[in-house]
Amino acid sequence: MIAKLNDLPAWARWALYAAFGVLLLTIVQSISDTERLTQVATAREMLRFAVPIFLAGLGGLFSERAGVVNIGLEGMLILGMWFGAWGSITYGAWWGLAIGIFGGMLGGLLHAIATVTFQVDHIISGVAINILAPAITRYLSEEIWASPTTSPRTSAVGDWDVPFLAGGTVFGWESPDLLLTISQWEIWYLSDLAQLSRGLLRGTSWVAIIAIALVPFTVWLIWRTRFGLRLRICGEKPAAGEAQGINIIRYKYIAVIISGGLAGLGGAFISTELSGLFQGGNSAGRGFIGLAALIFGNWRPGGVLLGALLFGYVFGLDLRDLDGTASHAMLLVNAIAFAGVGLWAFTRRRKADTIIAAILGVGALFWWIVADTVPSWWSNTLPYVVVLLVLVFFAQRLRMPVSLGMPYRKGET
Amino acid sequence: MTAAIELTGITKRFPGVIANDNVNLTVEKGEIHAVCGENGAGKSTLMKILYGMQAPDEGTMKVNGELVNFSSPTDAIDRGIGMVHQHFMLADQLTVLENIILGAEPTVSGGRINFKEAEAHLSQVADEYGLTIDVNQMVESLEVGERQRVEIIKVLYRGAEILILDEPTAVLVPQEVEALFENMRELKASGATILFIDHKLDEVLEISDSMTVLRHGKTVATMKNDGVTAHELAELMVGSELPTPDTSESTVTDDVALELKDLTVLNEDGRQVVHDINLRIHRGEIVGIAGVEGNGQGELVDAIIGTADIASGTVSFHGRDITRESVRKRREAGLAYVPEDRHHEGLLLSSPLWENAALGHQTQSPYGSNWWLDRDGARAQTELIREQFDVRTPNIDVSAHALSGGNQQKLIIGRELTSDPEVLVAAHPTRGIDVGAQAAVWDDIRAARRNGLATLLISADLDELIGLSDTIVVMLRGEFVATLAPADVTPRDLGAYMTGAALQNGGAA
Repeated sequence: MIAKLNDLPAWARWALYAAFGVLLLTIVQSISDTERLTQVATAREMLRFAVPIFLAGLGGLFSERAGVVNIGLEGMLILGMWFGAWGSITYGAWWGLAIGIFGGMLGGLLHAIATVTFQVDHIISGVAINILAPAITRYLSEEIWASPTTSPRTSAVGDWDVPFLAGGTVFGWESPDLLLTISQWEIWYLSDLAQLSRGLLRGTSWVAIIAIALVPFTVWLIWRTRFGLRLRICGEKPAAGEAQGINIIRYKYIAVIISGGLAGLGGAFISTELSGLFQGGNSAGRGFIGLAALIFGNWRPGGVLLGALLFGYVFGLDLRDLDGTASHAMLLVNAIAFAGVGLWAFTRRRKADTIIAAILGVGALFWWIVADTVPSWWSNTLPYVVVLLVLVFFAQRLRMPVSLGMPYRKGET
Repeated sequence: MTAAIELTGITKRFPGVIANDNVNLTVEKGEIHAVCGENGAGKSTLMKILYGMQAPDEGTMKVNGELVNFSSPTDAIDRGIGMVHQHFMLADQLTVLENIILGAEPTVSGGRINFKEAEAHLSQVADEYGLTIDVNQMVESLEVGERQRVEIIKVLYRGAEILILDEPTAVLVPQEVEALFENMRELKASGATILFIDHKLDEVLEISDSMTVLRHGKTVATMKNDGVTAHELAELMVGSELPTPDTSESTVTDDVALELKDLTVLNEDGRQVVHDINLRIHRGEIVGIAGVEGNGQGELVDAIIGTADIASGTVSFHGRDITRESVRKRREAGLAYVPEDRHHEGLLLSSPLWENAALGHQTQSPYGSNWWLDRDGARAQTELIREQFDVRTPNIDVSAHALSGGNQQKLIIGRELTSDPEVLVAAHPTRGIDVGAQAAVWDDIRAARRNGLATLLISADLDELIGLSDTIVVMLRGEFVATLAPADVTPRDLGAYMTGAALQNGGAA
């Protein structure tokens, strides 16, 4: 059966996984006292949280595929937030995005100069950018808006409802809202699936649509084009590229600048779409979580998106979960996930992994039984816990670029 | 006729060393020209200059009679020069095809790579020279010989007419070397010029039309290959005669030091890479393992030293079962290990020599105790190794990467042998080091054997195996397929067993 699953085209496989995930949520929800796990608003919040995480993670992908560790994503995101807000206020929403990208690129350029030209340790340069960015934006805010912490209101690029599925308009004609109809039937599982889908397809920000479109585009760019092949050699074996006359330094620069630009777009999304203004601290560590999504996603665009959606779901759920009951239900989901991992490890005869998964699974189950609610710090911690666990269980399957983080000097092999 | 390559007065200095000192090299069109010399003679630097990877400090270069000035390999490639590096320039996580087309990708609009055209061109080139390879595999799954083939195809793919091969035979068995030479002759027949770096004299004399000998960065001779003997060439290279490993009197005892019983090791996919191996090594005995790389030798070594999981069977040490014991326990019990890749497993390149000397013995006197390192003890011991094993270094505080390959290896050998081991596992102990250091390593291993050391020797250098071993076993596809006495076996015979040819002909052991 697994062999057949692998024969399916990628999109069908992913759709199947998603359907299975929703099934899991529905089952858990039926035995919990919450309905939030599959609400429309949960899916919408998931997407809103996921977009900047994904863009930062995708930025990390470009940089790290070229061999440069980019822990400065958070700083580049913050630069994107400020420049995006400023651009949006000064020239309008779409210009805001473009200028936000530009702001992030400046951060990327700085990182490239430090790491590629001057061989500064990648982590140190990244941390420096993370410290620098909030300081610069604070200074700029003070200078331009006479307030160190907040900007005036920004304008957003708007959103789109998908016709027929989620009631979007076609040339002024309001199409039927199929998913709403299905949700209202209140059929177990089917209506839950419809609600979650509708949350993704109605009122979808153009930035989110661009972000999703970046997945196939990045796959094409990195694995199908000359540019992508040359970018990858920088992260795999730069000496081999150099021996074929490829200007490694140039490709590294381009990759890190693109990386900054994507993080900048994520930042602009936060300020112009999520908060509607620039406010220091609103990045809320999404750059770091993007990096976590990158590792979770095994340095692949589809995986990064999955990681971002997963983390976005946890955050989105927590945001609307004032009494902590939905997060409590998530504990049961965690327990089931651990049971799955444990079973997988068991069939591969990996004793230590099976035991760890069993302990964690029983722990989550126990917590679920004894508590009625879960404090919100748990949701904020979960992405990092998930990444740690991925590293514990799947480290051997992760394929990070071989020369990631290694200094490169021309002519040295 | 103008020469394909003409280098005049090339000088290249690095901090503290002159790698090339007024070197001259002329290669005629359509010939196979060997550049020979010891390690550190400046061959690789010269080739890097010719390939545009480094710029010479002085001197001029002419390609096909035209004065050139390369600032990068691109310039060299544009002039039809291609290079196969000694350390393969291949990315493990890229496919064969991606590795080959890198830098010369056929593209259609939008920069998209035309993989179909690339494959077509590639199979055309491959057919022309009889080189076949599955282009969609990841390079990490290839064996050494295949990787080399990828490298050669890579150069041909670019239509190179002047090929530089940097020590291409270092990792090949005789049959593979023969195949490589056949390919080189075909290339020559179709008009290619080949520059070939080697320090194995018989190979140089077999394949080359002419040769240039370097010593200490200087050109000492250039000559045609007519009537030159190996002896003369050796003298030019090292200034003295080449040492060879001579078999000396047997010191084998009846006392079994290391015993493997029905040892089976699985790889990650659950395939048996070491299959039911039985082996006894006695005190004072050297057992040599011959085999084409990738036939389970690496996994066998890992199982003995304790870095691989053993699926079934036992490893015992003087009768004591150590199958489930940790690497440290094994080492403390007297297991010494000279790893195959000294840079990855043998040394911490950026750490000082005395720390490197303590590696693996950090829990034992004189280097330290359970918790603490004994700096003075470790330093004194390192000085001792430096003296006894002739490790040439200004002091023991320099980092390991400052040493030449031969001296790094002497440090490792010294570290392992001064700990009074019972059993030594030595994987390719003289790979990539010059003849002087090689002779020293052989002497050290022989001396240890006299003192009762049991040694498992894995080597691709068949002369070394025959010269040092008391018994030779041949490993093929994870199994021992033949046990041979070194006294009556030649490298050619061994090669036949290693590739399985001898077994197909009914010549099983």
